[in-house]
Amino acid sequence: MFLAVFTPADSSEVSRDAALVRRLLQRDVSAFEELYDRHSRLVYALVLRILQQATTAEEIVQDVFLQLWRNASQYDRSRGPFVPWLLTLARNRALDQLRLKSERQRRREEQAEELPPVIAIPDFEGALDEKRRAVRVREVMSSLNPQQKRAIELAYFDGLTHTEIANALNEPLGTVKSWIRNGLLRLKEGLQTAP
Amino acid sequence: MSSSDQIRDPIRELIEAYALGSLDPEERAAVDAHLATGCAECTKALAESHWLVSQLAYLTPESAPSDMLRARLMQTVRAEAAAPKSQTSASSTPKSTVPLWIWSAAAAALLFALYNAHEMRSLQEKIHQMNVTLSQQFQLQQASAQQLVIARREAAILIDPKSLKIAMPAAKPGAKNDLPVLQATWSPNLGLVVSGHNLPVPSVTRTLQLWLIPKTPGGKPVPSLTLRPDANGSFELLVASPPDLPNATKALAITEEPQGGSSQPTTTPIWVGAVAGK
Repeated sequence: MFLAVFTPADSSEVSRDAALVRRLLQRDVSAFEELYDRHSRLVYALVLRILQQATTAEEIVQDVFLQLWRNASQYDRSRGPFVPWLLTLARNRALDQLRLKSERQRRREEQAEELPPVIAIPDFEGALDEKRRAVRVREVMSSLNPQQKRAIELAYFDGLTHTEIANALNEPLGTVKSWIRNGLLRLKEGLQTAP
Repeated sequence: MSSSDQIRDPIRELIEAYALGSLDPEERAAVDAHLATGCAECTKALAESHWLVSQLAYLTPESAPSDMLRARLMQTVRAEAAAPKSQTSASSTPKSTVPLWIWSAAAAALLFALYNAHEMRSLQEKIHQMNVTLSQQFQLQQASAQQLVIARREAAILIDPKSLKIAMPAAKPGAKNDLPVLQATWSPNLGLVVSGHNLPVPSVTRTLQLWLIPKTPGGKPVPSLTLRPDANGSFELLVASPPDLPNATKALAITEEPQGGSSQPTTTPIWVGAVAGK
């Protein structure tokens, strides 16, 4: 399965990451250092938000970056841009830690799905750099109704399923499904039509 | 519409949630099965949805890992980068000034230091967890002790020969058949206990409140404690120090009030019981 990955206008950042990852293959410590300095804050913030515990969050961040260092060849540019790949890897690790020995983790172990899936940047993304995109994501999510935003956060940061979210919010399952899908579509549209 | 289109459309609606990881197992299995057919459109949509979902990471408040983590990681990475290099240089330049055993010893020392650091963190985490558990157990113990004190007081009131037994039937004429009769026992010295079963539970913004209706003509109802039946509609309320004495009280009443209670009744009583002196 091969997906042509769109190269956005903000390609210098993406290319820089790709070049640094290539240098990791030659065990270039300075490339690792630069990648860590570029992305560790966002990865740590994500993992900390999921785990709510600084010590454990740092252990996960350490694991993620050591995996990157030791198995740089696992990142293949054909699987998509680097940062979403790294974020997906970190989120999966953090959720596995959060739900240790839970069914979700057993399922992951059974599937042996250690690596993030193929990721493709939609065509519209090119116009926004990372900072503006972050601002736009927050704007769009703040415009959702609070319960809808909460449902998406419970799925993304707590790894809950539709049924678990419906129970947690005491809302009908169908409502939760609509909230999540419509919320994500609104986010997509918001990033597409960003000024 | 072809049969594959008919299958694809409902599946397409699940793709974003699939990427988010929020589908329940049955729906997830259905999407897996469809993707296994190689549907190019859904595969592309999924890859784009994975990107979209990853953008949610930007919702996190800004935060930075400690400098210690960076130092630890760089130390490990430099040591690992140096290990194969030293082996290479040893094979290509036999007169290397740094013998291999020194590199090995340094690597071993570093690994030992890292292991110790890891063990220390694990130990700190365990100690923290134990403290949390101990604190929870202490709170549970305190709550149990408090419940025991209340139960003893209630038992003393119930068996006190000086206690008055007060039946509190529904006050509203239409509700007499639907609402249970509450029971109150009032000891002049030990306090008042009111209990009931199968009560309707008020909404979360409302509560029930006990009132003492004084014998004094024109006297205003004296507010007492609020109460809330459990999920089964049962409650047992201990008023250790009622605001007035039985012989100065004409009746007990219970009304529904806003959350937190009121200083004077805002609704008509639901239950009323006459206090007859011995």
